[in-house]
Amino acid sequence: MSEALRKTVDFEARARQVLSQVPLLSAKEVEVTFSLRGQKLTAIRRASLDLYEGETLAIVGESGSGKSVFTKCFVGMLDKNGSITHGSIEYEGQDLTQFREQDWLRIRGRKIAMVTQDPMTSLNPLKTIGKQIQESVELHQGLRGLAAKKETLRILEAVGIPNPEVRYKQYPHEFSGGMRQRVVIATAVACKPQILICDEPTTALDVTIQAQILDLIRRLQREQNMTIIYITHDLGVVANVADRVAVMYAGQIIEIGMANEVFFDPWHPYTWALLSALPQLGVKGEKLPAIDGTPPNLFNKIQGDAFAPRNRHALNIDFLEEPPMYEVTATHQVKAWLRDPRAPKVEQPKSILRLSEQSQKSEIDTGASHPHLDPNREALIEVKNMQVTFGTGRRKFIAVDDVNFTIYKGETFSLVGESGSGKTTIGRAIVRINPITGGEVLFRGERISGKISRELDTKVIRSMQMIFQDPMASLNERAKVDYIVSEGLINFHMYKDEHDRQDKVQKALQEVGLLPEFSSRFPHEFSGGQRQRIGIARSLIMQPEFIVADEPISALDVSIRAQVLNLLNDLKKSRSLTYLFIAHDLSVVRFISDRIAVIHKGRIVELAESEELFLHPLHPYTKALLSAVPNPNPYVERAKSLLVYDPTVHDYRVDKPVWEEILPGHFVYGNARELDGYRREVEL
Amino acid sequence: MKKQLKKTVQELEQPNVDLSVDYTAVDQEPQKQRPMGREYPLARNRMPEKQLFEFAEYKSMDAERISYSNYSYWKSVWQNFLKKKPAVIMSVIFILLIIFTFIAPLISKYTIETARIDYDKMFTSPNGEYWFGTDNMGRDYWCQVWHATRTSIFLAVLVAAGEIILGTIIGLLWGYVRSLDRFFTELYNFINNVPTIIYMTLIALMVGKSFLVMALAMIFFNWLSTARNVRNLVLMYRDREYNLASRCLGTSIGRILAKNILPYLVSVIILRLALAIPGTIAYETTLTYLGLMDVTRPSLGILLRNARTYFLDYPYLLIFPAGIVSIITITFYLVGNAFSDACDPRNHV
Repeated sequence: MSEALRKTVDFEARARQVLSQVPLLSAKEVEVTFSLRGQKLTAIRRASLDLYEGETLAIVGESGSGKSVFTKCFVGMLDKNGSITHGSIEYEGQDLTQFREQDWLRIRGRKIAMVTQDPMTSLNPLKTIGKQIQESVELHQGLRGLAAKKETLRILEAVGIPNPEVRYKQYPHEFSGGMRQRVVIATAVACKPQILICDEPTTALDVTIQAQILDLIRRLQREQNMTIIYITHDLGVVANVADRVAVMYAGQIIEIGMANEVFFDPWHPYTWALLSALPQLGVKGEKLPAIDGTPPNLFNKIQGDAFAPRNRHALNIDFLEEPPMYEVTATHQVKAWLRDPRAPKVEQPKSILRLSEQSQKSEIDTGASHPHLDPNREALIEVKNMQVTFGTGRRKFIAVDDVNFTIYKGETFSLVGESGSGKTTIGRAIVRINPITGGEVLFRGERISGKISRELDTKVIRSMQMIFQDPMASLNERAKVDYIVSEGLINFHMYKDEHDRQDKVQKALQEVGLLPEFSSRFPHEFSGGQRQRIGIARSLIMQPEFIVADEPISALDVSIRAQVLNLLNDLKKSRSLTYLFIAHDLSVVRFISDRIAVIHKGRIVELAESEELFLHPLHPYTKALLSAVPNPNPYVERAKSLLVYDPTVHDYRVDKPVWEEILPGHFVYGNARELDGYRREVEL
Repeated sequence: MKKQLKKTVQELEQPNVDLSVDYTAVDQEPQKQRPMGREYPLARNRMPEKQLFEFAEYKSMDAERISYSNYSYWKSVWQNFLKKKPAVIMSVIFILLIIFTFIAPLISKYTIETARIDYDKMFTSPNGEYWFGTDNMGRDYWCQVWHATRTSIFLAVLVAAGEIILGTIIGLLWGYVRSLDRFFTELYNFINNVPTIIYMTLIALMVGKSFLVMALAMIFFNWLSTARNVRNLVLMYRDREYNLASRCLGTSIGRILAKNILPYLVSVIILRLALAIPGTIAYETTLTYLGLMDVTRPSLGILLRNARTYFLDYPYLLIFPAGIVSIITITFYLVGNAFSDACDPRNHV
């Protein structure tokens, strides 16, 4: 990493600023318990945190780590069955844990406000946007009538909503997801709070929109001098926004420090594991260092360090006694026995060091073969002029239009696009869940779309399988794992006798890294990553050649993702599988795929070999998408310049666009004039 | 606090600190040593300190272990059901009631066959001879009431089971098979737009009003609401990812319906079944009142219809059958609710 890049963010100055201040809000040994059906769940296990004025503190953790619950204590919004059973939260000389409901009215919204994750549910659909913001303005700023409306319009403008006069009178359904999140932010900042808690504000949004929202929050912070707590599981987002980072695991803060300290010099094995598991730091063709297992069950009493059973660097004492907080620097503390002077000396894993070396346009070394460049390549799937429409007549909606591509045997072909771009529809059309309305799909040269013989149908089912996005929804909750995994076997009587069937199920479970005895369990007993692996076992048992993986890791926690990615890569090698990998996360796609197709509004706009696409994107949409990819290096992430794609740059009225191969294996969609431009770009 | 912490670490890092010191001794100042930690009663005596700070063996399958115990769906249903005391008590009473309908004729002096019309004894209040008194024609009321109870429960269970089975099967197909949606919707509209009473009247007049005919007629016109309800639920589950997965695996529609969708509807179906039983008894009463039922065999509906004329003067004529109808209704209401709650796996764990 260059010195110039390092200078872009002055973390040292911010650290000095933090050390010189008295904390604005100080949580000490907070313990939160929930009672669920007679059982006690300790969600926060005596976590302490200081918040300093003007800073952005990011809290990172997996789902269930308690990051949301912890911050909800600061605004008194714990669910009814939860309570703070220990500790104190000091703010402006008062202890927030002692507050009653009427006390909260003075703080909540006025001093400490919150932005929640889902912009679809946090706005009232029956009230106009203007009314909802104005409500907050009237309540907290005491303005009335015209003055309140004026203030509302000012806020709308401040959060970057064009035509505030018109938008004021509109309802939430007339806003896009990103716009709605801007409105939610507007209601939160309407009363100029001192502290703004953002609970995963961009998780439900596309990357390009996410980058815009992050910019907005940063700008508002500067203008209003707010202190921000940012809760997220995405380390790229953390790198983008945070001055300080707190890592949470199983209800405790296990590492806290300035962003550069946590990213480049972490000392908790969990932080190591979390960072190493990022596909951005992975070497293509190699295994990602995954974290085995799942976070602990907080219904049980936890002895020692909660991370110990999953920790490859665990000491014996980790299983017996909880570690204290050790100080690495004045601003950086770690809760790990490894920092004890008596502990053996360990070095940080190599992948952590790789992070600080990373620059903006690093080339990943590709040791992988290029089956699509082989002259003897074998086309497995050919999609020709595919069109998929939904609805009829005036409500007809074209989800996929004139899509062409070929998938060769043995490669991982990725489809990347934002939500609603039609990528899932293409995947489902290939496995014939959605019927196509135009064009055709060939499998080994045979047409498999439309009406086909029963014989071919059976063959196609057995050789093409799908892995689904949401492991919570893709398994039948009322069937045992045994039935779920052997469903395909039963359908085609692919077993000799009952014993043979069970044998096959257990082999499939072992192949995906699960214990064979899990076959007698029900899906709800498993964690997300385990459930996803059951789903993979279900499709593997058919001995398929081709698998459509529809966002198989986007619903999983960071630490679990690596497990599934490794598994997919291993299976590809051991069973010579071909994948169609559908994703929106470009960093994952770059790690796993051989070729990438970028899809925008139902059309593929660019298709190239993975590295070629990342290094020489041509289509403006691809460029915009790539510019928004979050990078876990705080310096790189903050220095990146965001490109915004404007579809109106294309003028296709006279000059009709075509799908053209500009370089061998590199396709772009554009009209003659644009293609000329791309050609010139390539030559440079 | 930060400064204090810093000091502690510095102290520890000084080379002259004797690291071989007994670990328990270090711990004597827990505030200093673990400013943010939490005190634990320790098992530290078991292991020498040197070993404490050695790497532990890493077992990847330990990390994979899941913390839940074995789980059986129907066992959890049963356990949850047993927690609902009123429902359990009422179902015990109901079972005793059914058993009693068989015992009652044996212990009484009259049976439905031997109870003769005797106008001298009409409207006799309950006494040692006639335990439930006599009706308007001097027949023993005790044997009539119990016989009627048995007939009514039999009819109700038959009709309710029939309409639920038919309604569920049709509802599943209606909801899952897109091409059948139009047909069943039109059929539903066609049948549902005319009051069923009119159909029942036509059937009673044209085919006859025997017990079996009326039972079948009731089944035939009552499945509609169940089917509609089931269909709407199927629509909720039809396009879930696990069903798409089954379709990818080539699972037949029949197995998808039976294995993937029906289990999710169990609680609703059981609730409907439980409510259909008292519903049928009430319906039968209505039909009897309109004279559409065969009156040669007493049923609760017939007794209630007869009692209606005299109950101001002879309230016992109404009280006995009405009491039994109430017990049946309350039982099925409570049991149905309790059981459908117990069937919902969200209430397990």
